[in-house]
Amino acid sequence: MKTDTVISVKNLYKTFRIPHKKIDSMRKAFVNGFSRNTHEEFKALDDVSFEVKKGEFLGIIGRNGSGKSTLLKILAGVYSGDSGEININGRISPFLELGIGFNPELSGRDNVYMNATVLGLSKRDIDQRFDSIVDFSEIKRFIDQQVKNYSSGMKSRLAFSVAIHVNRDILLMDEVLAVGDISFEDKCYGVFKEFKKTGKTVILVTHAMDVVDEFCDRVLILDRSRIVNGGNPEQMVKQYSQMFHLVNS
Amino acid sequence: MNSFIYHASQGYHENYRQLIWMLAKMDFKLRYQNSILGYVWAILKPLFMFCVLNFVFSSIFNKRYIVDDHYTLGLLVGLMLFNFFSESSNSGMRSLLNKSSLVLKIFIPRWTIIMASTVHSALIFLFNIFVIIAFLVWYRFLPSFTAVLIFMMFSMLIYLLVLSLSLITAPLFVKFRDVAMIWDVALSVLFYASPVFYPLQMLPEWIQRILLLNPVAFIVHFTKESMFNNHYAEFWQFVVFIASNAIFFLFSVWAYKKLIRNVAENL
Repeated sequence: MKTDTVISVKNLYKTFRIPHKKIDSMRKAFVNGFSRNTHEEFKALDDVSFEVKKGEFLGIIGRNGSGKSTLLKILAGVYSGDSGEININGRISPFLELGIGFNPELSGRDNVYMNATVLGLSKRDIDQRFDSIVDFSEIKRFIDQQVKNYSSGMKSRLAFSVAIHVNRDILLMDEVLAVGDISFEDKCYGVFKEFKKTGKTVILVTHAMDVVDEFCDRVLILDRSRIVNGGNPEQMVKQYSQMFHLVNS
Repeated sequence: MNSFIYHASQGYHENYRQLIWMLAKMDFKLRYQNSILGYVWAILKPLFMFCVLNFVFSSIFNKRYIVDDHYTLGLLVGLMLFNFFSESSNSGMRSLLNKSSLVLKIFIPRWTIIMASTVHSALIFLFNIFVIIAFLVWYRFLPSFTAVLIFMMFSMLIYLLVLSLSLITAPLFVKFRDVAMIWDVALSVLFYASPVFYPLQMLPEWIQRILLLNPVAFIVHFTKESMFNNHYAEFWQFVVFIASNAIFFLFSVWAYKKLIRNVAENL
């Protein structure tokens, strides 16, 4: 692995076994022992290899069910792959979708503390950054209310705000900006630009092609669990929309 | 088939202690939210249980054994210890499933979630210790220093036992919900098989020996004995007991590593 490579994925395979009958009790497991074990194998990732360099903004696009989120989950260490090799060099933000671990019964304040602790900040760090986190999310008025009373936009603002204050080298983002309004979205793009300047590595899964076009240095297209192509954003977005037209017509 | 290699040069989290403490604290906050009496419930539940058992065995089934202050206090201490065991093993078992949003979306070592649940239960047990102290003051009974030490040591051993159990049952419960039913039955068997509301001495000696193989019975019996009869377990019994707890803990760590592998996929 070269020194400027922060993520290298080699020949990654992941298969989910989808049983026709869900076995969640021992009786079913026992009964099932006698009958034929019927399940489908679903290849979520099929021989996926790529590398990401330090400071790179990598976009991953693809249709629903093409394996994008599974790939991020494996990179974050939530799922384990069947085979292959992953090397990560740097502190990865274990941040996948927004609202991770937000507990609806707890207040916004408690959730910020809990979330930031889970993401690896110490109590003192959180105390220092708390005001900045709340300011960025623009929900100061509601911070002591229970999160279940928040709108989905408010929740994602708060979660995004926590995540960017954690200060990691590598960020994984899955459909981060889907629920924010335009002014907040602009703010997030500002953050992205800041990230680029500071040399952070970002892997972004999204369906928003304009974001891909504007921010990504390189784009991978995932289709049917394989990487079909990778290259500069403009071309990839073009190819991707062509794939769609083929399917739709 | 090639194996899967995941190598991260820098870990995710370096401060497990803070993480576990935060998770436990939030559990504590959540558990008694929206209830008027709040934390008082942590004490009231075993206290009610104690009142019922004490009434039944000192008023209805009286004369069967000599009922005195020691019986009442022994019942309280035994019940608190057993309650600690049953409540914490139950919530430990459910911890991973209850925290599925964390397990599925973020990587933190899963044992931290299980451990946080046991820490939370230990906090509640601390509350109950104050109840015990209040009763001791009320009955003007001062346990010997050795008895207090033994009580503390046994409390820690229950904690270790519960942690070991939870490391096995929590990932199992994700896959098989039957584990909860089995544990429910096992707990009620264990309750009657532990000398909580009866003295062990009233049973034939060979049954006593069998019952003492149950770690909860061992703890309850010798805590009561040391407090009220000035009678302690033999030294070799202590050694065997602690050693087997330690071995069980090592086994549970080994089992946990096997069971935890695909836990996110099964949730």
